[in-house]
This record gives sequence, structure tokens and C-alpha cells, in this order.
Amino acid sequence: MVHHRRCQCRCFSGLLAAALLLIMVPASPAAEPPWEAVLQQARGQTVNWFMWGGSPAVNAYVNGYVAARVKELYGIDLQQGPVKDIAEVVGKLVIEKQAGKHTGGHVDLMWINGENFRTCKKNGLLFGPFAERLPNQRYVDWGRPSVYNDFGEPVEGLESPWGSAQVVMIYDQARISDPPRSVGALLEWIRRHPGRFAYPAPPDFTGSVFVRHVFYHLSEDIGRWQGSFRRSELVATAERTYQVLRELAPHLWRGGSTYPESPVRMNTLFADGEIDFAFSYHQAEASRQILDGLFPETVRTYVFDEGTIANTHFVAIPFNAADSAGAMVVANFLLSPEAQLKKADPDVWGDFPAIDPGRLPPEWQARFRDLPRGPATLSDAELQSHQLPEPPSEILIHLEKGWEQHVLKER
Amino acid sequence: MRALGTRLLAPAILVAVGLPFATLGVWSLAERWFFPDLWPQAWGLRAWRYVFATAGGQVAAALVQSVAVATATSLVSVVVALPAARALGLYDFRGKDTISVLLTLPVIVPPLSVAMGLHLWFIRLGLAETFVGVVAVHLTFCLPYAVFVLWGVFSNYNPDFESQARSLGASQLRVWRQVMLPMVMPGLIVAGLFAFLLSWSQYLSTLIIGGGRLTTLPVLLFALMGSGDRPVAAAVSIVFVLPAFVALLFSARHLGGQSLAGVR
Repeated sequence: MVHHRRCQCRCFSGLLAAALLLIMVPASPAAEPPWEAVLQQARGQTVNWFMWGGSPAVNAYVNGYVAARVKELYGIDLQQGPVKDIAEVVGKLVIEKQAGKHTGGHVDLMWINGENFRTCKKNGLLFGPFAERLPNQRYVDWGRPSVYNDFGEPVEGLESPWGSAQVVMIYDQARISDPPRSVGALLEWIRRHPGRFAYPAPPDFTGSVFVRHVFYHLSEDIGRWQGSFRRSELVATAERTYQVLRELAPHLWRGGSTYPESPVRMNTLFADGEIDFAFSYHQAEASRQILDGLFPETVRTYVFDEGTIANTHFVAIPFNAADSAGAMVVANFLLSPEAQLKKADPDVWGDFPAIDPGRLPPEWQARFRDLPRGPATLSDAELQSHQLPEPPSEILIHLEKGWEQHVLKER
Repeated sequence: MRALGTRLLAPAILVAVGLPFATLGVWSLAERWFFPDLWPQAWGLRAWRYVFATAGGQVAAALVQSVAVATATSLVSVVVALPAARALGLYDFRGKDTISVLLTLPVIVPPLSVAMGLHLWFIRLGLAETFVGVVAVHLTFCLPYAVFVLWGVFSNYNPDFESQARSLGASQLRVWRQVMLPMVMPGLIVAGLFAFLLSWSQYLSTLIIGGGRLTTLPVLLFALMGSGDRPVAAAVSIVFVLPAFVALLFSARHLGGQSLAGVR
């Protein structure tokens, strides 16, 4: 049964890729209004964009730069709705759907990916498919597995990519001169330096990606998790992962009796010198923290020789959005070379492009190449040559639940 | 001995209450502050620039929104609670116990359940994402407190004063204005203050019923708290605390008045 469903998913993504190719080459969607009409409709609309509001850098980029540019170019008023967790907004949409509020919804755009996207897609909470209608979609490489699949869930045009994330390890070269360059070496390092490493407790996202790295480390061939695998293989490798993490626990910060509750807390422990490593889903987070004075200037990042896990984050439009035309125009602007370049500037945010700079005109390619990278950020080449795909959500959830049962409770 | 104790009391309270705020102040001005240093390594105005310049519009709008919601909630609470508390404090009637249990319900039930349960109905009634809706959901938490405070005041209230005034020829309106109101005023102000502060710090119910259309200060603050950017969080916290503090100061001279016997 499970096998059958997975097979369907892959067929879907194949179909999707084919459909995208068809639409992108001749560019003549039949029933939908042309882009010019969307632009006209969007003028004068107010787009309420809900997102995690925890990063002053992101808030400044959205409220300052993006809001000013979409006003100037398209006459759209952009209002940011900062929330603690976008799941709060997803919950609100579920209730609105139940209450039969099918039009005039206040939320026009959401910053989303992974589990929240799955929830929205399963409950029919999304407008679209719209992604393939955006002209700037031509800069996106939809052939990449991390773009056409959002954590194993086919995107199917229901969300538009905004940026990409990849795990990097963070250390202070004033403290550690030669950091362990593979997951195996890191595990060994932790055993030899008790109390100097911590990872946030899953289901925190950053904590859970550490568990996935250990899971990959113990898998003979990680490619099999993307294709068809037997459940028994998953269970066996997961068991070994829990065993390794259980044995590791006494060597962790505070003897593994407690885990930091968030990456923010882990960063604080790292900045305060209580632990020697942090890790982040954002390639430029360490540089950002140095700029903000939250990390010392000797902090650097690196990726494992075998690679680190990477994924894409998206924007999506709710089913009942009052200003969906405006939201599409904003989503399209977010993919423009101009907006993606600004976002990649470490002084602004330092988030990595969702578009493939190789598809841009030469002068834009040069601008992306010449971006200042910040003291702790690795080069694009170094990062992109060390990327591992996310496993499907099924594996992710299996590992998160298993970690709680077999590592946290049996400590 | 006693004199010394009395003289030390004020500074002790000042330190106990003031120190956490002083830390907030230092954090908001810290550019770099790593353990184990007792004092920031570098100072700067980055956090305050963020609050006033970058997010200035958002913060100002949220401040206005918060003041409006909290003021409206506190006024409605007091106006509704006054007659209710008077009846509960002065008269005995059937079902009084039931009423007092019902009154505590919104306080006992977790705010999340109250707000989620009301959300569906508020959408159907057209109250979701409106100012009135947010004030209404705040009232479910603030009104019981206001009633309980004033109930205490009225259980110590002697209605004979009103009879005296009436026997001297005062009209009903004059009795209320010149006898009852002055006597319960301190309690009224405390009840209003409680309602104001409770409404001021509501996060979840504002977010659910306001649906992001009403962005109050707690909504902004909580979103920023998760960032781990302590200087910015500290600066926003100060902006959040100050108006509540001003409200407290404004009503401070009415706290501890003798008609408050019932509030203890």
C-alpha cells in the first residue's frame, strides 16, 4: 500500500515536470487571464503577507525593500503579518474553511514549506496552481529535487520558491582549529569532548536535521531513501540511529539530561562558550550573527565532506485570499533577479537564491558572483557541491517520533 | 530596628522590581555582549534603530492598536461590572453561587480553548478580524476580574449612606454621582487597571480572533522573541512595558485607599 502510494507520487512529479515544460516553452495557458490582466487587477490591492516574524533582518527586507519596490512598480500595498509560527495561520485557515469563509480572506500570502505545506495541500487550503503562471519562474530550475518536491511532497505549482537553505556547521576558529569534517568524525569528537556539543530536541527543525544527518551517516546508500525503499530497511536504519544517539547522550551538554529547546538557544550556548559547535539551516547565519554582534568575529562555517542536507522555502496563497492577484505579483517580484540579489546580500539577509543564477543574463550572473559573502559564509561552489536532498516527510516524521520514544524517554 | 527596616524597604523594593528592567535597558543598548563578561563589550543603538526606524511604522501602529483595544476593554469591563458587582455584593438571590462559578469559567478554562471555540462563532457572526471582536474576546478574560474586584468592594459597602442622601432629597442620579461613585472609585480604578493590563498582555486570543488584521504590541513582540536577538527583544519589551507602567503610575495614588478593604 505504502509502496503503491509512493509510486503515484513519483508519477505525479514526473507529470508535473512535463506539464511545466509544456507551459514554459509556448507560454499560452488557455483559460487563465494573461499576466497583463493579473498586473492590472493587482494595482491598488493590499497584500497581507504572513510569515515567521522572528528575524529583524527578514522583517527589514520585507517591510523596507520589498514593500517599497512593489508599491513603486505595481502600486501594491504590502503589509507584513509577523507570527511566531506559520502553523498558527494554517490553523486559522482550517477553521475558516470549516466556517465556510471561501472568499475575502485576510491572509493573501504565506511563507511556508515542509509539514505546513503538506497540511495545507491535504486540506485544500491553497489557491492555484499558480507558480507556473509567474513570468520569473523561468529563472527557477524546476529539475532540482528540492524544488519540485517540498520534503517529498510534490509542489504541483501550489507554491512558488523564494529561497534555499542548506545546513552548515558553525564553530569558532579561536577555540577549535581543526573541526571534524564528517558526521563520523563529529560523533568521535563529541565522545572525546564530553559536554561540549548539543543539538536542539526534535521536533525542532534544526534538531531534527541533525538526527537525519546521523541517519544518513548510518545508511549505506542515501539515494535509496529518495526512491522506493522497504519499510524494514527504514526501521532497521532508524533503530541504529537511535542506538548511536542514545550512546552519545551522556557525552552531550549537561550529560544529555536536557536539550536546548531551539536553535536560538543552541546559538546562545555557543556564543556564551558553553558548547563548541552550533549548526544552522541558513548558509549565512553565522555571518549575519557576526554582523549583528551576536557571534565573535572568529566564527566560521563548514560543510561535511559527504555533504549536508538542503531544501527550499516557498510562498503560497490561501484558497480564500481576497487579493490573490496582488499576491501573485508579489510572489513574482520575489523571484526577480533584483529581489533575489538583494536578499542574498549578507548585509541585508544573506538568504540563498531560489533562482538558478546560471539562467540569468551575463550581467546579472556577474552581480551574483560579486556579492560580498560575509566572513563566515562558504562559496556557492563549495555549498552546492556538498548538498544532500531531504528525505520524504514519512522518514522525517518516523525519525522525529522515534527519537522522542527511543532517545529522549530512554535516557 | 524598626525604623531601619522601614527605611530599607523602599530601596529593597526598588532593587527587586527595578533590576530586571535595568537589565532590559542594558541589553537594548548592547551591540556585543558575550558570557562571561559582566558588561557589554560594545554599545550601540542597533536595537533602537530597528524599533524606531526600520520597524517604526509597525511599532507605532501596534502601539495605537494596543492602547485602543485595552482602553475600550477596560471601559466596557468597568461599566458592565459595576451593576453586576453591586447586585452580587449587596443582595442575596437564588443562583448566586452558580453565577460566581460561571464567572470564573473563562479564567479557569485555558485561553486557547476559549479563543479557538469562539473563533468559529465569531466568523459566522462577522466579528472575527474586527476591533469589536477582539475587544469582545478580551472581555471574556477581563470582565470576570473586574466583577470580582468590585464584588469585594461592594461587600464592604454600606448602602445606608445612599438612603441618607435620598432622605435629604437627593435624586437617584445625584446619589450615584455624589455618594456611590466617590465611595467605590478606588475599586473602580483598580478594576479598570486590571482589565487594562490583562487586555494589554493578551497574545493568543488577539492573534486568533484578530487574525493578524489587528496587530497589537504583544503580537509583534512574541514574533520577535523567537529570534534570539536579545537587544531587539529587549528594546521591544521596553516599548511594551512603558505604557502599562504609565497606566500603573496614573492609578497608583488610588491603590491602597481605605475603601479597598474588599480587594485584599
